[in-house]
Formats: sequence, structure tokens, C-alpha cells
Amino acid sequence: MSGAGFVAPHVDYAATAPIIALTVGLVVILMSGVFETTKRWAPGLAVLTLAATAGLLLWHWNEQIDLIAGALRVDNLAISISLIAILSAFTTILLSIRERAADEAGQGEYYALLIGSVLGMVLLSEAENLVTFFVAIETLSIPLYILCATNLRREGSLESGLKYLIVGSLGSATLLYGMAFIYGGTGSTDFAGIAHGIEANGMLHDPLILIGIALAAVGLAFKTSIAPFHQWTPDVYQGAPTPITSFMAVATKAAAFAVFVRFFVVALGPETGDWQTGLAILAAISMVVGNVGALGQNSLKRLLGYSGVAQAGYMLGGIVVASEKGLSSLVFYLAAYLFMNLAAFAVIVARERETPFGDDIRGVRGLAAERPALAWPLTISMLALAGLPATAGFIGKLYLIEALVEGNYTWLAVFIAVGTMISLAYYLRVVAAMWMSPGEQVAGPAASATGAPASGPGSTPVIAGASPEADPVDPRAGHRWYLVGPAVLAAGITVFLGVIPQPLVDFASHAGASLF
Amino acid sequence: MNISWYIVLSALLFTIGAIGILVRRSPMVILLCLELMLNAGNLALVAFSREVGNQQGQVFALVVMVIAACEVVVGLGLIVAIFRRKLPLDVDDLRRLHG
Repeated sequence: MSGAGFVAPHVDYAATAPIIALTVGLVVILMSGVFETTKRWAPGLAVLTLAATAGLLLWHWNEQIDLIAGALRVDNLAISISLIAILSAFTTILLSIRERAADEAGQGEYYALLIGSVLGMVLLSEAENLVTFFVAIETLSIPLYILCATNLRREGSLESGLKYLIVGSLGSATLLYGMAFIYGGTGSTDFAGIAHGIEANGMLHDPLILIGIALAAVGLAFKTSIAPFHQWTPDVYQGAPTPITSFMAVATKAAAFAVFVRFFVVALGPETGDWQTGLAILAAISMVVGNVGALGQNSLKRLLGYSGVAQAGYMLGGIVVASEKGLSSLVFYLAAYLFMNLAAFAVIVARERETPFGDDIRGVRGLAAERPALAWPLTISMLALAGLPATAGFIGKLYLIEALVEGNYTWLAVFIAVGTMISLAYYLRVVAAMWMSPGEQVAGPAASATGAPASGPGSTPVIAGASPEADPVDPRAGHRWYLVGPAVLAAGITVFLGVIPQPLVDFASHAGASLF
Repeated sequence: MNISWYIVLSALLFTIGAIGILVRRSPMVILLCLELMLNAGNLALVAFSREVGNQQGQVFALVVMVIAACEVVVGLGLIVAIFRRKLPLDVDDLRRLHG
């Protein structure tokens, strides 16, 4: 690779096609935002781009191709994680219909940024080189910083954008510094080259590599919101527009975990025993901090933020064991997490628009009587996140625990079990609010239950605690197909995969087999 | 060639940047500190590239410069948006999201 002049790498256009499709789609969507007449096509174009990308990715299923001089690698792990990100982006587009943030940012810009972030995720899940790894993680993050702040009229949205930018960039800078040291210690930016360099020197004897790995792990922990590097998560989740929160919660996590596992298993594979304990401790801290932090949260988005920290801890368990089974269970859990979270966020979006409570837990009080079509998905989602049987969450936890026990990390499996017990306290609180308490008495939602759009802009009271600017924009939101549909469908899939998990197990084990 | 002084300098820059982010309250200064941290990474990359004897580190540093510029653009844009809303430009006062 060094010396001998520069030789242009061979580019396999068939395998880069998904990335090209996303890039072209991004540009077209951005241009469509320029003209008044084409502006409203932006969501449709975004859906088209995602569908094309998903098709092109599936075309390469079960193939293993190294691209552009080993910068990227298309395999089942990359494809499955990319598909999770694409599905999450697709539902984000549905949830963004009539979202104020999309109008304020401009339709073209909003959807172009979303596609840009998906592009980063697809690149990240394929990255096999430190340079592509870093570029991809920034391509993913920078559009998200902007998307968090798109609801320009809400102070919280701007604040969350700035917070995410500062913390995210801090994570990136730490990651970069770690990468520099790894490069210094091994003489290569290529994952395979790093593995080779570590084998030659021995990690424990080289402080450069050791510092590098520690810093890179911290940077990745920032991105995947693993405690103790999670403090930004609840704030950013709460302040960002809810469709974007749903995207961040699932897709970012999936992509970051994909590169996490690829980096640790492929590049640092020769010294597995040395990093396992460190990651296991991070996972345990994350489970405890996330589950304890979520207790007593009144904002549903904050609650899901802390729950996401705990879930990231569970998922990290799949990386700790560094086995095929661990990776399969990680992919299974990520896919299940997509559906569980999606059902919850779709309901939160609907309630945010039809009640004046924003994402406060009061918004879902008495939901069972008022809107059963919203109450059931949220109930199923909460029970699945808690890991109750007959849901995908249960099967996912079962696989993770099995993988941990087989990998001699039984103590971490015990942490998962204990964390699940603590988590019931806050998940069931949401369920109880829906089924066991009467609806909150406010003119708006009470009247909208009968179908009359009574909550005019003047009658929306500002309530302390809830996001005050989140006044109802659509009193009939609880009946809209693009909100109820995804919620019901995601909840249905969550239950289906809990009863018949085999299809997803096959999918995940294909992904798991690609690294081992 | 001995590169240890370059690495010491880059470690100093990184530490100064990290401390700056923790103690300073103006988002502008925090952005500067972030730049400092990224450039510490760049310096380390270029120095290591010299020691290792291949160009991968230099290419990486060039790419990082572009990314750092993108981050600053977004950061400044957000600061302008916050300034227009007449919100306090002080990260300690931006605490609407808490609970």
C-alpha cells in the first residue's frame, strides 16, 4: 500500500449501488426543496430512495465483498443493520407528516438531512477502515445535530441540538484521538492491518495501542449512549422533534453497535480477552444507571431515553462475549428494539399533537378508554421493552442471556435479569396510567374524543412540566392512519416475533455468521 | 526520527481542549475547544504517519480537517439560531431540558 505511487482502487459499482442510490436521492430531494411546486414531493422521494436502497442491499444478501481497497465491506451484518436503519427512517418519514419541524426546516432540507444520516449509517455498518469509520460516524451525526434543532420555535429543540453537537463532537474528538494512537501503535488504518499489527506487538506491551483502544471505546460509548457517557441522551431525546427522537433511538444505536462489534471483533480480535472485562463493566454500569435513572421520569421521551441507556447495556452484552451467538443475539435485539420503540414513539407523537401535555405521562392517562387503538400498542411496547413473555423483547433477552452464559459471563446475565426487574417499575407505571386512571380533564382532549375540534389555538393552556410550546396541532391525530398504522403494525410484529421468532432468528444468525 | 515531542504537544492540546469544554460556558469558546481537540488528533496522526512511514495518517488528517469544518459550520448555525431567539448564549443557562 505504501510507496510505489498511487494506484486507483478498483470500484465495484454493483456493491456500492446502495450508497450511490442514497447519495443521488439526497441531492434530488435537496433540489426538490428549491421549487415551490416540487417541495411537497420530498417525503415521497425520500421513501422512494429508501425503497431503492433496501432493494439494492437485499440484492447482495449472503455475499461478502470488500470494496474500494478494503475501505468498506458488504456482508450480512452490514446489510441487516442498514435495513434496520432504513426501516426506522421510513417510519420517521410517516411520523413526520404534518410535523411542524419539517415545515419549519423546509421539507426538502428536512428529508435530505434524514437521508444523509441514513447514508452515514449504511457507510458505518460497512466500514472496515478507521478513515471510513470516522467519516461515516460524522456523516451520521452532523445531519442529526441539525435535525434535533429543526423545531426552531421550540427553545428545547435548539437547546437539544446544541447539546447534541457539543457532546457528540466531544465523543468524535475522543474517538479520533484514540484512532490516532491505534494507528501509531499498529501502523495501519485498516481493520485487518490493525489486527495484524496487534498480533505482532502484543497489545498489553504497547501503551500506545492500549490508550488508543480506551479512548476509542469511550468515543463509541458516547455515540451508543452507554453509561457513564450517557448524560446527553435524556436531554436530547426530550428536546428533539419526536419523529427524530424515534430515529435516533433506534437507527443511530444500530449503526454504532455495528461498527462497535466490527471494530472490536475484527481489528482487536487477537486480544479479545483483554477488552472483554472492560466492556462488561461498562455494560453493567449502563444497565444500572439507565434503569435507576428512568424511575420517576414524567416525560415519556426522557423515560425512553433512560430506558435506551439500559437497553444499550443489554446489547453491549452481545459484544462482550465476542461469539457468533452473541452477535446474532445483538442483531436480533436491535431488530426487536426497532419495533418496540417504534410503537411507543408513534403513540407519543399522536398524543403530543392531540393533547396539550406534550410528551408528559399525563398525556396518556385514561388512554385505554379514550383511544384503544393507541393504548394497546403502547402497552405492548412497554411490556416488550420490559421483556415480558410472548413479546419480541422477551425472546431477545433470552438469547442475550443464553449467549452470555455460554460465553462465561453469567454475572452479566444476572445483571440483565435484575435490571429487567427494576425496569418493570417504570414501564408498568406508564401502563397503569393508561388503563387505571381517568383521563386528564382538559377542554381540548375531552372534546376531541367526540370528534369536535374544540381545542383552538387560544384555548391551549401552558402547563408547567410539560413542553409548553407543544400545543396540539391536530386534534384528530389519534385517528390518522400514518400514526395509528405504524403503532398498531409495530406492536403486532412485536407480539408476532414473540410467538414465532424463527424468521427473525434466521435473519439474525445470518448476520452473526458474517464475522465469525 | 523521534516524534515524542509532537505527541506530548498533541496530548497537551487535547487536554486543554477537554478542560476548556468542561469549564467554559460560552458555546463559541466550546466550539473552539472542540477544534483544538480534533486538531490534537490531526497532529498525532501526522506525527505517527512520519514514524510509521506510510501516508495513511496524512490522508486521514486531511479528511478530518474537512469534517471539522462541517462541524463548525453546523455549530455556528445553531449559535446564530439561538442568538436570534434571544436565548442566553451560555451553556449553563440553557437548562430547559432537565428533570
